[in-house]
Amino acid sequence: MSNSHLPRSAFLRGAAAIMPLSLATAPWGLLAGSMAIEANLTPLQGQGLSSIVFAGAAQLVAIGMLKGGAGVFSILLTTLLLTSQHLLYGMSMRSVISPLPGRWRVGLGFLLTDELFALTSQHDKQQFNRWYALGVGLTFYIAWNLFTLAGIVLGSSIPGLEHLGLDFSIAATFIALITPVVRNVPTVVCVAVSLFCSVLFSYWQWGSALVLSGLAGMAAGFICNKLYLERT
Amino acid sequence: MMVWAVIIGMGVLVFLNRYVFLEPRLPLRLSSNARQFLGFAVPGMLTAICGPIVFMPEKQLNLQWDNPYLLSSLVAVGLVIWTRSTLISMLLSMGFFFLLRWWL
Repeated sequence: MSNSHLPRSAFLRGAAAIMPLSLATAPWGLLAGSMAIEANLTPLQGQGLSSIVFAGAAQLVAIGMLKGGAGVFSILLTTLLLTSQHLLYGMSMRSVISPLPGRWRVGLGFLLTDELFALTSQHDKQQFNRWYALGVGLTFYIAWNLFTLAGIVLGSSIPGLEHLGLDFSIAATFIALITPVVRNVPTVVCVAVSLFCSVLFSYWQWGSALVLSGLAGMAAGFICNKLYLERT
Repeated sequence: MMVWAVIIGMGVLVFLNRYVFLEPRLPLRLSSNARQFLGFAVPGMLTAICGPIVFMPEKQLNLQWDNPYLLSSLVAVGLVIWTRSTLISMLLSMGFFFLLRWWL
């Protein structure tokens, strides 16, 4: 067995692999922290969102809704729709994570973000290493919470932080993750359909715009892949 | 009190979304078609998250050249193809974005 399979080195490899994405999430984390303060949440509540919920997009939307005086039920329903892509991630990681002991399943389940999924989804049973995944997930969790904390501290002193366009950092991060994956026609179709639908559905202000457009893109890619394989 | 109820409720919902299919007692076997479909989850879902951020800043559809999100995203795509480095592309495209915002 090679050295890289030892728990400690696998954990550190994971931590190193997620480092660029963790740093890139800084502006987004700052935004989550400062917006919480702006919406009159206490610092503890702002930090609680990042440490308990740990889902950037849902946090920002919930803060906006709290500020706008929305009810508990509508916030929770929006959260459910907005984070339902995680169901797909869980389904996709099922073959490698579900055989693990309970505390690993719960731990990795809690840490299963877009970023963790992007870094580990291509691993099959042989390649998947729980320590590597833990290194990725835990590093990202700590970074996210530190940046939120910085946002909470800064947000109280710099008003108007939310108008700086910090949300571009999430787009830059995801573009850097998506572009290298787009290598064949079905993936191009998937991305194009998903992009078009996400803009259209958001324009129509559908609560479930995110997951529906993602599913539409995935379906388009899948169908295209089928046709492609039949031809060759 | 209501804020804490929202936070805890959201935490539970997001965790359930993430965990439910990782539970081995849930009876589910994925066909090869289902696995192929899920293979498109990274490009499909991440693109869907980016779309509204890039094309609809401030919740308004903006397809003009004065939309810094749109220009900077194109720069980001170009940088990834050109440099093949995640970190360099992210840093440079963000730098470009903030320069553009400051300049426009």
